[in-house]
Amino acid sequence: MARERWGSRLGIIMAVAGSAIGLGNFLRFPVQAAKNGGGAFMIPYFVALLLVGLPLMWIEWTIGRFGGGFEHSTAPGMFHTLWNKNRFIKYFGVIGIFGPIVIYIYYVYIESWLLGYSWFALTGAYNPCNTQEKMAAFLHGYQGVEQNAYFSGLGPAYLFFVITFATNILILYGGIQRGIETVCKYGLPLLFVLGAVLVARVFSLGAPDPAVPENNVVNGLGYLWNPDWTALARAKVWLAAAGQIFFTLSVGIGVILTYASYLTPKDDVALSGLTAAAWNELAEVIIGGSVVIPAAFAFFGPSATTEIAKGGAFNLGFVTMPLVLQQMPWGHLLGFAWFVLLFIAGITSSISLAQPAIAFLEDEFDLSKKEATLLFGLNTFVLCHACIFFLGSGVVDELDFWGGTFCLVLFATVETILFAWVFGTEKAWTELHVGADITIPRVYRFVIKYLTPAFLLLILGFWLVQEGIPVIMMKNVPAANVRYVLGTRILLVALFADLAAMVWFAWRRRRAKEAVA
Amino acid sequence: MTPGGWIFLGASWLVILALTAFSMYRVLRAKEQDSPPPPAPPR
Repeated sequence: MARERWGSRLGIIMAVAGSAIGLGNFLRFPVQAAKNGGGAFMIPYFVALLLVGLPLMWIEWTIGRFGGGFEHSTAPGMFHTLWNKNRFIKYFGVIGIFGPIVIYIYYVYIESWLLGYSWFALTGAYNPCNTQEKMAAFLHGYQGVEQNAYFSGLGPAYLFFVITFATNILILYGGIQRGIETVCKYGLPLLFVLGAVLVARVFSLGAPDPAVPENNVVNGLGYLWNPDWTALARAKVWLAAAGQIFFTLSVGIGVILTYASYLTPKDDVALSGLTAAAWNELAEVIIGGSVVIPAAFAFFGPSATTEIAKGGAFNLGFVTMPLVLQQMPWGHLLGFAWFVLLFIAGITSSISLAQPAIAFLEDEFDLSKKEATLLFGLNTFVLCHACIFFLGSGVVDELDFWGGTFCLVLFATVETILFAWVFGTEKAWTELHVGADITIPRVYRFVIKYLTPAFLLLILGFWLVQEGIPVIMMKNVPAANVRYVLGTRILLVALFADLAAMVWFAWRRRRAKEAVA
Repeated sequence: MTPGGWIFLGASWLVILALTAFSMYRVLRAKEQDSPPPPAPPR
């Protein structure tokens, strides 16, 4: 069977940008910037983009295209081709399938909230909620965390979940060109149009309450951008910037490897990787930095904005923003635009998370696209129920820790070392420039070999000490949630073991086929 | 907003817009070069 290919170069750029642009661009970035030095945060942010973000982009695009040349679309096969003397490296590559599945399980559920809230915005369902407390109660009722006047059960949430899940599977069923590429080629431009509309509306707000003229958009921008130079002396700020760059670019998950594997061996990766990163930054810094915090500041003032930012990204997206937008003329349409924007950002990311597992089933077990998609859909549909019914018991946080944080940092560190040190800088540099439309400055040979792995090891070490070990030891888990967290860990171990066994079986099949040939 | 805030906002936007414009220009130019030449007019 002929290997699938991207229909156009813009198609894969939009698909990778779509994978990278997620909720974090619009909700996590502004909070991180405001908390870590405002404008001064952009210095470590750009340094991290140059030393970690762009090199990792290029590394993953190159490994992906290289592996695709050997008919591998996922990390186990790719790592094996990079280091074919090592029998065990393919099992490490399992993380490149395991991590995306784990993130997909909770991400697709959160994505369904966005679809639900788009509907609520249009129908005015949350209009009676005119305070932070009431809007938070609306969210908790919808999530099934509490029963209240707004929702008596999980019915609406479940309905929107089923619609969202089915939409994902339908897109994946269409394959690389007709499914993923088509959705991203139309979805991303729409996302930027909606973003531009929201930015224009926020910038034209002025001071919504004439009695408090200092609560205005310009001061809101100042809240986010005024530099606090002392922040640059704090190691925590540099780590936060590196972490933000790392998580925003969708690197270290394994999805770029899979997407790039559908390139032909002579396709450019250097310029395409750079372009996808640029689109992601456009969404993050220009749209993400111009909507949420300035709008919250203009309506609620500095001290309330500080409290809102402390409440985290979900609070900002699902509580503060609907509250802010419904106070403007045409609020229901602006609310709809906001949630549709986030939904597009979500769905272009979730389909990318599903693709490695589907590609693995196709490549290694000779399943058709449709069979592989259905098998993936059935399994993840069952697993998603853990998030739906045990959301309040710490299941999603646990999945996010292992799939969305731990695996990412570990995977990126190992793949960088593998690429620069095992595959070798000379070969890596040559491979990166095959078919390249730009010449990457030679200083990046040094950066990729020494600085990127050192930076990643530093992030891994600091992160393990500061956040990783307390979470692993369950230090902040309430006693009532311990059994759910342990149950989630058992589920994750079983999933990883299952995937590792599939890799073992696939390689045995491969050897048997080679022996016959 | 302080002058420092404006400088950081302006510089960040400028860098990102320039990066996006440069990379998209190169992508579109490469696309033009890759596309096959138009068929020769009939004699």
